[in-house]
Amino acid sequence: MDERLAEVLRDESRNTGFADSVSFPTNEQEVLSVVAECRAHGWPITVQGARTGLAAAAVPYGGHVLNCAKMNRVLGCRVDSRGRFVLTCQPGVILSEFKKAIEKKSFDVSGWSKESLLAFEQFRKAERQFFAPDPTEASATIGGMAACNASGARTFAYGSMRAHVSRVRMVLSTGQMVDVQRGQYVANGRELRLSCLPQGELTVTLPSYTMPNTKNAAGYFVQDNMDAVDLLVGSDGTLGVMTEIDCVLMAHPAFIWGVSCFFPSESVAVEFVIAVRGKVAGLVALESFDGDALQLLREQRRQGGAFSRLPAVPKDYGYCVYAELHGASEDQMLESLRVLGELVQQVGGDPRQTWVARNENDLGLLQFFRHAVPESTNLLIDRRKQVCPVITKLGTDMSVPDACLKEVVGLYRRGLAEEGLQSASWGHIGNNHIHVNLLPRDADEVARGKALYLRWAKAVVDMGGAVAAEHGIGKTKVAMLLAMYGEQHIAEMRALKRTFDPLNLLGRGNLFQAEGGETV
Amino acid sequence: MNIAVCVKQVPSSNEVRMDPVTKTMIRDGKQAVMNPYDRFAVELALQMKDRLGGRIVVFSMGIPAASRILKEALSCGADEAVLLSDRAFAGADTLATSYALHLGIRKVEERCSRFDVILCGRMAIDGDTAQIGPELAEHLGVVPITDVAELLEAETDRLVCVRTADGERQEVAATYPVLLTVHKDINQPRLPHIEGVLWAETAPLQVWSAQEVGADLSRCGLTGSPTQVVRTQVPEREQACQMWQGGAAELASRLHGLLKGEE
Repeated sequence: MDERLAEVLRDESRNTGFADSVSFPTNEQEVLSVVAECRAHGWPITVQGARTGLAAAAVPYGGHVLNCAKMNRVLGCRVDSRGRFVLTCQPGVILSEFKKAIEKKSFDVSGWSKESLLAFEQFRKAERQFFAPDPTEASATIGGMAACNASGARTFAYGSMRAHVSRVRMVLSTGQMVDVQRGQYVANGRELRLSCLPQGELTVTLPSYTMPNTKNAAGYFVQDNMDAVDLLVGSDGTLGVMTEIDCVLMAHPAFIWGVSCFFPSESVAVEFVIAVRGKVAGLVALESFDGDALQLLREQRRQGGAFSRLPAVPKDYGYCVYAELHGASEDQMLESLRVLGELVQQVGGDPRQTWVARNENDLGLLQFFRHAVPESTNLLIDRRKQVCPVITKLGTDMSVPDACLKEVVGLYRRGLAEEGLQSASWGHIGNNHIHVNLLPRDADEVARGKALYLRWAKAVVDMGGAVAAEHGIGKTKVAMLLAMYGEQHIAEMRALKRTFDPLNLLGRGNLFQAEGGETV
Repeated sequence: MNIAVCVKQVPSSNEVRMDPVTKTMIRDGKQAVMNPYDRFAVELALQMKDRLGGRIVVFSMGIPAASRILKEALSCGADEAVLLSDRAFAGADTLATSYALHLGIRKVEERCSRFDVILCGRMAIDGDTAQIGPELAEHLGVVPITDVAELLEAETDRLVCVRTADGERQEVAATYPVLLTVHKDINQPRLPHIEGVLWAETAPLQVWSAQEVGADLSRCGLTGSPTQVVRTQVPEREQACQMWQGGAAELASRLHGLLKGEE
């Protein structure tokens, strides 16, 4: 393969694979041709979007890379039965551009059907619209987000990507297609029947496991009487190549305010999170940054450059919880803010140790603050990697039920203390989903960090949690999915995959070890 | 230390609408924010108050919706706010605006002591004139120091600051009263805290009409504005991208030629 295309061999997980060929189809017909060619030769296919994933699902280990970056058009618009606007996207549409186009109500409508153009006219006249999923990485593609069921800060209130997708059209490795509209195909218990295009039917036996009652992006989504759309979203590139994804919009909130609340310690912050859930109207996000993360920011700010724009975090601020409020009126926002302030005080915090952002500029500043944390840790790891190449950041992505928040925070703190590992933690504490980032200083700490992560995964499963809450399993967390569900359920997942992909061509090594194949 | 700060509401983006008749900007308060330069002025006032104590009064002239930016200043720690709002003020240029602001400042000074320091942003991002500060100083009869980039010292009777303009740096000392217009990046404006935001909703915010400040109507609004806007237009921007291929030396030489205007 041409060396200039080497970037398709890696993704944001910082793993690098290998491949024999790559294609950049621009439409569904081209995807069908590529898949037919691969099927004829028995080449495995790794589907890619913008390669922003953190679990190596897009990293190929042999075969063909099908990169969807050039399938980047919005193909149409409709109004659904609930009066919501729905935009049909090709998988390579980039989230930030999609959001910008929604904000400007401006799309390239060439080739749109008459019905789409009529719906688009309504859209243009309608109030401001909003696509809720907000993963931190805004350069992600809609296809990638659907493949791993991405989420972000606002998932706390609005749910993950799955809740905002109403239709998926997918090319299967057999050359058939499925076009699944929400409500069209609903399982009977654990059996799901799907019509294929141009003909044929799939009878899918859904795995028998019960998913954890937490934020979850680990393995196939299965439930009794589930909708087929929910299975395809989050399937990690293993069942087919998505060619169209219908994204459901909602009315833009009239007011968006962000509040960073600082606490003297982690334990006080955790008490605040427990106290605030369900008590504040319009609370859509609860994010956290621990004292180590705040200290990294202080150091970055001191070093200057772009980080000098960061607001100064006083020394005695030991933990930060970011709360985002959405509402329809200023009075409602003020009332929510008042309740938030009372709860801060109630748990032992100080309402004066908060930052309130009420316009786009200030919200942008708080967003910069939030994004600067992972960036700071990446810079730190990159510096260490120069000295010791095996060093890598080990970031957890696990969630537990609400009742286990204190327990899991205790688990992480004990583990870090016992191993003497440096870390910085941040994440979606409202969903009990904290990314503990282990920052190893040498090869020994890398090994001990990996072992600790696996021990935590087992403990999280015992708490009824998920080993991958938003990044998906991909190839890097295969062992953890096994720990979460066990051999029997993994075998059921394999059987499900075979129903869609009998030649086992798609996404080999994602979710579970490829049969007779490679691991990462 | 008595400090007055003048602030202006500006559109939050560059997508503004113009009145086709008056050629002035339509200010409906939607998506409006405090002029970014003025935020630095408010922050400077807060830092001076933190250090020396005293009282901060924030002034603005504008539509009723401009009270939002005054509440923003109150939420950050200002003590009082005055909005000069009247149809008679509509369409004002910088001269008429500075006239109205000076009347507001004088009216507050009638019941309290004189302001030691008056702070303004260097300019507003919607008009870019940078005239309000110097004109206001003229109306008030105080010394203006424009383009202040750094405050070196602030005592109860004098201050020393650095002004930068046209690439030059000048250290200036002044006794009070003095008016400063401030650069961006002179400080890092703080965000309000929850208590501040809630307090600002009930804080003293007075709205005064032209009559209440004793304005001469012939000096207010469009009538009192010698500036006549003949035409406004959005500047055209052209962007073009050329793709060059070749060896490093060849491309560097070509780029050099382009920069020299030879290509």
